[in-house]
Amino acid sequence: MTSNTASPAAPVHKRELPDPIAVRRTILEMLYRSRASHLGSSMSLVEILIAIYGACDIDAIRAHLPGRDRVFVSKGHGAAATYATMHHFGLLSEDDLATYHQDGSLLAGHVSHAVPGVEHSTGALGHGLPVAVGAAIGMASSGYDDALVFCVLGDGEIQEGSVWEALMLASHRRLRRLIPVVDNNHVSSITETAKVIDMAPLSNRFGGFGFAVHEVDGHDTAAISDAIEIIRHQDKQSVIIANTVKGKGVPFAEGQPVWHYRSLDDKSYATAMAALSGNPL
Amino acid sequence: MRGRIFEALQARMADNPSIFFVTGDMGINLVEPIEVRYPERFLNAGIAEQNMIGVAAGLCNAGFRPVVYTIGNFLVHRCFEQIRDDIALHGYPVVLLGTSAGYDNAPLGPTHHIIDDWGAIRNLPGIDVYAPASVEFASSVLDRVLAATRPAYIRIAKGSPTIANSDNLVVDRPGSSNGPLLVSYGALATECLKAQELRSDLSVLILNKINPVDMAVLTQHLARHDRALVVEDHFGQSGLYSSLCQAVMELGIDCRITSVAPPLAFDLVVGASAATYFRRGELDATGIVQRAFAESALRNEVGHGHR
Repeated sequence: MTSNTASPAAPVHKRELPDPIAVRRTILEMLYRSRASHLGSSMSLVEILIAIYGACDIDAIRAHLPGRDRVFVSKGHGAAATYATMHHFGLLSEDDLATYHQDGSLLAGHVSHAVPGVEHSTGALGHGLPVAVGAAIGMASSGYDDALVFCVLGDGEIQEGSVWEALMLASHRRLRRLIPVVDNNHVSSITETAKVIDMAPLSNRFGGFGFAVHEVDGHDTAAISDAIEIIRHQDKQSVIIANTVKGKGVPFAEGQPVWHYRSLDDKSYATAMAALSGNPL
Repeated sequence: MRGRIFEALQARMADNPSIFFVTGDMGINLVEPIEVRYPERFLNAGIAEQNMIGVAAGLCNAGFRPVVYTIGNFLVHRCFEQIRDDIALHGYPVVLLGTSAGYDNAPLGPTHHIIDDWGAIRNLPGIDVYAPASVEFASSVLDRVLAATRPAYIRIAKGSPTIANSDNLVVDRPGSSNGPLLVSYGALATECLKAQELRSDLSVLILNKINPVDMAVLTQHLARHDRALVVEDHFGQSGLYSSLCQAVMELGIDCRITSVAPPLAFDLVVGASAATYFRRGELDATGIVQRAFAESALRNEVGHGHR
């Protein structure tokens, strides 16, 4: 994905992508095994992450090449989804995933750079985009003009002022290879995002900051991938607003703020897995 | 001192293509030559310091060695979580250049009194802190920082104090006897040397690097004195006083430590210059001598030992 590395650009948008249902199953297994939280946030992210990693040169990420594409998951509580997706792209092993949230593991409940392939530790919100902007500036200064720098943000997270500081600079610098992707799942920590600070329509906010806005169904992997390819080939700073459902695929968790915190017990795990299989209990 | 550091910065940018300069819209008539000579490695991040620190971390991610410059309070206080999570946690070797240390911006009021900055930094793992006391050390501090692979905070005071043979991490100016030892850094090192001119039995130890402190050096010096006064333009409870108290306790050194530092309070009464605050807080040479010997006399009267 870069012009300045030994790794040639690959037609990654043609790559066969993981099945979102399979990724969601992996997430459920991880969360159930560890009794961990953040189910809702992880489920809304799945297609976004599949599309993003699908657009990246995975071999360059694995080799940690200087000109690699970069993925910053700023909503660090999406760790289970991030690690599950990385697993389905061959960046993490089954054994690695089995340690999630466990004693001695490097796979914490927030995304950690201790895990090979992860660019940056996040967890406190509003940190990922400034770092992604810095990486994009650095990449451009180094001549890695074609590498993409993704940053996944939550729609609650973008209440942080540092996000808008970063957007201002990104727009001013015309960082056309930086792609912020908002997981617009409409629920923040304890309630609906619109009840906390209503920023709808989000497209106006980003448009006002000088970004071309690509608003897509965030559970349509192809739509997200198409938006990425459009951005890749145009000369304009751009953002993807991916409209999603928090807890997507797990009916009892969909749109329910409590599933930001609640962990799965035996019964809810069985119910969730059955729903994903298309055979609801 | 700032000028010497920027002279060194420009020289290093010429031979080290990984250095990337970032300013928070500060440094008029200072940073412009860098932008002209190295436009690809210059960034004015604007009045948005939280973002600026994250950007510096991202530049490290992309292989650069960022040097980030603004006034110390904007650099440290505004961005503490970014310094913690994005720099310290990742061990990114960002160089933080903070100006206007202590009471340099005296009449601008307490928002611009930088007397609680490096104590916060000290509480984070892995960040070196330097506080040059002289132009001699200021000229070399950047090379020392760049030779390491850790993040660093350089706390820059205004002015161009000259101290002979001070281009070392530790500068020792023994007194005529083993009277009280003054331990200081930055702008107040000069006041301590003036105090020594008033009382030759005072010894002075200047630390150009204040975090982490060199325990071996401290042990060696503190063991020679019954008393040490830590003179600093920073709250003592999180500053060098705290570091020395910790060293004395951990190493079992028989030396009483006294803090000569601003009180733990915001001072709303304007002082026209740093000198005003130094006088007000007995941080100037005269005040330091008074503190050193008045306390000594008081202790003898009430029959205390040297602790």
